[in-house]
Amino acid sequence: MCSPLNRRYFYVRLSIETQLLVQRSRAHTWVRPYTKKVNTQSFPKIMTVLFKKGSFADGAAAGSTALLRIEKPKGGNNLAPNLKMILRGDVNRVYDHRYKHGQNAGDQKAMPKEDKERFFVRPSRQRKMKNAKWFAVGMGIDLPFCIIILILLIIGTIMMFSASYAFSYYTQGDSFFYLTRQLIFIGIGLAAMIVLSFFNYNKLHKVAPFVLGVAYFTLFLVLVLPSGEGGVKRWISLGSFNLQPSEIAKFAVILFFAHWASKYYNLMQLPKYSVLPGVIVFGTISGLLLLEPHYSGIVIVGVLTVIMLYIGGMKTKYLIVGGIVLVGIILILAVSGGLSYAMSRMDGWGEALSAERGTDMWNDTWQTRNSLYAIGSGGLWGLGLGQSHQKFLYLPEPQNDFIFAIVVEELGLIGAIIILLIFALLVWRGITLSLRAKDKFGKLLGIGLTSQIGVQVVLNILVITDWLPNTGISLPFFSYGGSSLIMLLAQMGIVLSISRTANIEKQ
Amino acid sequence: MDENRSNEKPRAEQFKRKPKRTQKGPNQRLRQRAAVLIMIILVLGFGAATARLALLTLVHGSELQERAVDQQLADTTLTAKRGTIYDANGNVLAESASVWQVVMSPINFEDKDDEERGEAAREAAARGLSEILGLDYENVLEKTRQKSYYTVVKRKVEVEERDKVLELIETLSKDYKCYGAVSLLDDYKRYYPHNDLASCVIGFAGSDEQGLEGVEYEYDKYLAGTPGRIITAQNAQGTDMPFAYEQNIASKDGDNIYLTIDQNVQSICEKYMAQGVAENNVLNKGVCIAMDVNTGAIKAMVVSPGYDLNNPYELTNEEKRKISSLPENEREAAEGEALSAKWRNKAVADTYMPGSVFKMCTAAMALEEGKVTEESIFVCSGSMVVEDKTIHCHNLGGHGTQTFVEAVCNSCNPAFIQIGQLVGIQKFRDYYKGFGFSEKSGIDLPGESDDTFWAEGTMTEVDFAVASFGQNFGITPIQMITACSAVANGGYVLQPYVVSRITDSKGNVIKSVEKKIKRQVVSNKTSERMNAILGYNSEKSGSTAGYVAGYKIAAKTGTSEKIGVVEKQSTFEEDYISSLCGYAPADDPQIAMLVFFDTPSGKAYYGSQVASPVFINIMTEVLPYLEVKTNYSEEDLKYLDTSAGDYTGLTVEQATEKAKADGFTVSVKGYGEKVISQLPGVSSKVSAGGNIVLFTDDESKTETVSVPDFKDCTASDANLIAAGNGLNISFKGAVRSGGICTAQDIKEGENVPPGTVITLTFSAASSEGFND
Repeated sequence: MCSPLNRRYFYVRLSIETQLLVQRSRAHTWVRPYTKKVNTQSFPKIMTVLFKKGSFADGAAAGSTALLRIEKPKGGNNLAPNLKMILRGDVNRVYDHRYKHGQNAGDQKAMPKEDKERFFVRPSRQRKMKNAKWFAVGMGIDLPFCIIILILLIIGTIMMFSASYAFSYYTQGDSFFYLTRQLIFIGIGLAAMIVLSFFNYNKLHKVAPFVLGVAYFTLFLVLVLPSGEGGVKRWISLGSFNLQPSEIAKFAVILFFAHWASKYYNLMQLPKYSVLPGVIVFGTISGLLLLEPHYSGIVIVGVLTVIMLYIGGMKTKYLIVGGIVLVGIILILAVSGGLSYAMSRMDGWGEALSAERGTDMWNDTWQTRNSLYAIGSGGLWGLGLGQSHQKFLYLPEPQNDFIFAIVVEELGLIGAIIILLIFALLVWRGITLSLRAKDKFGKLLGIGLTSQIGVQVVLNILVITDWLPNTGISLPFFSYGGSSLIMLLAQMGIVLSISRTANIEKQ
Repeated sequence: MDENRSNEKPRAEQFKRKPKRTQKGPNQRLRQRAAVLIMIILVLGFGAATARLALLTLVHGSELQERAVDQQLADTTLTAKRGTIYDANGNVLAESASVWQVVMSPINFEDKDDEERGEAAREAAARGLSEILGLDYENVLEKTRQKSYYTVVKRKVEVEERDKVLELIETLSKDYKCYGAVSLLDDYKRYYPHNDLASCVIGFAGSDEQGLEGVEYEYDKYLAGTPGRIITAQNAQGTDMPFAYEQNIASKDGDNIYLTIDQNVQSICEKYMAQGVAENNVLNKGVCIAMDVNTGAIKAMVVSPGYDLNNPYELTNEEKRKISSLPENEREAAEGEALSAKWRNKAVADTYMPGSVFKMCTAAMALEEGKVTEESIFVCSGSMVVEDKTIHCHNLGGHGTQTFVEAVCNSCNPAFIQIGQLVGIQKFRDYYKGFGFSEKSGIDLPGESDDTFWAEGTMTEVDFAVASFGQNFGITPIQMITACSAVANGGYVLQPYVVSRITDSKGNVIKSVEKKIKRQVVSNKTSERMNAILGYNSEKSGSTAGYVAGYKIAAKTGTSEKIGVVEKQSTFEEDYISSLCGYAPADDPQIAMLVFFDTPSGKAYYGSQVASPVFINIMTEVLPYLEVKTNYSEEDLKYLDTSAGDYTGLTVEQATEKAKADGFTVSVKGYGEKVISQLPGVSSKVSAGGNIVLFTDDESKTETVSVPDFKDCTASDANLIAAGNGLNISFKGAVRSGGICTAQDIKEGENVPPGTVITLTFSAASSEGFND
């Protein structure tokens, strides 16, 4: 093989940031460059778009896949940094001899058969899969991240079974009721994760506004449909499977702001591009969630919006201003007495241990109180796996939001800290791998999806320890629940997909 | 990491030096912000979560665990069966039987899948329970809507109702998928088979089987037994958890108690006390205590009227009316007062002024001190001046000159003032204490009251004078009978008791009560002399002092003015307590009995008129029952019933001969040769010298005679009338010494066959001989 510098034609991917990213031979088989505008002015002298999706076109307008002809500058060492970058890439194939005299040859199929193999040919599906590695440096998913997910999933499922079997036995007459269903959900979720890890996440760029629209639609739909238990409208029932619109909303918010911020990254400093969409999107979604009501959903969507805008490049001062406004509102509410009303509405927040037996408060705080009993009973080392007492109907629905209380009771503080460490590793690895993604969208999306897990873990633990009102925040990988688990694993699939591009450089 | 490399600065340098924002590339900004985000989530968020968990597990852990364990450890109480109370002969007076209580866990009605089904289950349960248990449907329905885990629907449910409830539970679980909402718990119920018999002694147990009155209260710790416990770790629904954590402590059934009370003696006493209370319109109940003179065991204790132990909270209609006429805020207090008055054991909890009955003690102490002999002479002029106060005798004309024995029989107050003065205040006080009046008798019944007597040094001569004939101080009836027993039994003051032995549920004796002599207050000799004197009194005074035919009775009546009563209740000028305290037989005392009626408001108030007949009636039945040996005087024998022999089947001559040999007169009816039937029948009781009618043919049987009126006849008159009419009579009650017939069992004017036995009841004549 001759040096890339001697080649004239490169198969490249164009990014919206007018940067050229060289696709490696194996990558081109599936990566579809997202190209709207190529500012060829940046590289007037070094390239011409030769081939674009089956047809040659002048310039680089609205092309997806393109072959560029690089004109080797005369002073070979004075290449611009970007060009250097291009040249360093592992170029797949260069058929310069074909294009030298085929400038306006439009149709690949029209080419002579003996020459075909020398032309660029899109690889077959089999070849694509053959080249895509499971775990590898480059084209493979991020191994540590994937292992962390699987570890959490295993621990989570074991604990879910341990926490649920008594409740399951008494309420469903079958100890394995929740386990079998959870295993089915895990199967579906893992399949979704694998599929999505091979999915080009860049395609989500286009559908981001559409997904947000779907989120709005489902949030509306759930309000229109008849309400569930206690007048709360949090789920859309799809037969045996319940869909939680707030799960879609969380994902939609992350996706939308990843899309938005990557699109207007340089403009994100302006409040018009950061604060305004943030307020609009969060305001409308939280308004809909308030009607369900789903306070924890509001909190999570709010936190995710702030995170996305922050990493998206919003000026810190708007965050500070927002924080001051929030504190101000809370102070005004506190002074006017509205806060205590709001707090009293939140299912006996902070009253779990002082409530008197037999009162409404006692019943309202039943779950939280028993959660505290469970955590307190755990102590440093716990009662041992499967030895929880509180799961025997004292703690209602121990397989759901309050599963971690049972985890602490059985595995103790030590076990809880180990699990938290694994979660921390997941968050850290997820964010750092996202940072290595090849484009802004991937970075933002990866960070957003990963931090959602971190935020949910923290909020869940603060809820079960009665530092936040009990409003239903599930613990990722642990809590029982079809829609949230499948959604979660699908999101992890997207992060893994991002990790495929992120690992390219690691050779 | 192409972005990094695309930046010309080395990576390490970038992290060290913070370039100004303007110099920062967009990627750099993202990188830094991501770092900040990681810090916030991992350090702040996870740090807070870990800190909170550590706080809860390590600092509050033990407290929370304790509360959790409290909640998890269900402590099931295994009810112990309360012990049975028997009378002296082993008849059951109180026992517990298994019943059930119906409880609900309303929270289990909630049906998460189907709200309507839960509601339907509620309604079905409420309907079923209200029908089975006779409760109000709305009330039960309201209970099913409570958000609690435990509420009692009804207690003390019997076996038939329990079976129906079990069916209902089955239906609920089958038709409504509603589990554990209604359940049954074991319970016991206390039954008193004889209702109000010995109510003041037995007392009753409350709804939780806790003794509230009487022996039930006093011996609660024996009767109650030890409830067992099953400590099991349980889930919130109360079903057991799969892991082993169970501790079983079996329950120990309560001990059985045998009373000294004899059911038969008790019922005899109650019968006549109730009669006495009714006849004399007694306003403040009557009390009767029968005590074994030699042991202190209480054979019977009656407070009349008693109350139904199976229904202790039921007030009489009159009381209810009275209470409902009160303003609403006073009703509850009034009801409580009425109940406690009803339950009050007057025999031990109330004091009364013993009056002349106390003279037996004064007399005994004077004899013991040697200040008097039977022949000592006392003069009564109808009144006596002590210091500046004139004290009258009940006989205002005075008893004149009398011996000591006569003074006792006359119940002469001035004589007893003089006797008291001979003894002296200090000695009198010592003996007062000695007889046990200043201390609690120690009977094993609750609520014994203290006496009211003058404190040391405050007793004036006047006080002393009235005290010597039993006025102006209060003692309890049980103290009086104890002192009376001491006079009778050789001077030994005994501790009275109602429980003779306690056995465990298997019948092993745990505790057996022996007689307990507290002290000897007078000598045997004095006691014997007192027996003779009081026996003489009874014999001389006859039916007014408790004379019972065939037995040597020693008794003293008393009529005490109720001094210091706030509101006079009776129709007399003052309220009185009519009492009689005596024992039998006088020569070998075995049973002592005190009968007193508080505030009679009928035709008479003297002890000799009110208490004495009741005493006689009781003793007449009790003494034979106790197999006290008879000792008839010649006069008595006249009135003694004998059994008619069997004369049927004999020839008229043979029968006549045989009947005459048995001490009967004979009249033959009909013209047959053989006796085909006789009246009175074989073995029936006929007074000595009664008339046996022998029937020789069927026609003769149709003859009848009209029953004459025996009312107000003396015994001898009655005999004459009966003989004249060809009837037989049987005597009952105070026949001797002025007793008159007050009732006859076959009414006047009725036609009966000749020879029919008519039972005549005699009681003390009201026209003469009040020796109080």
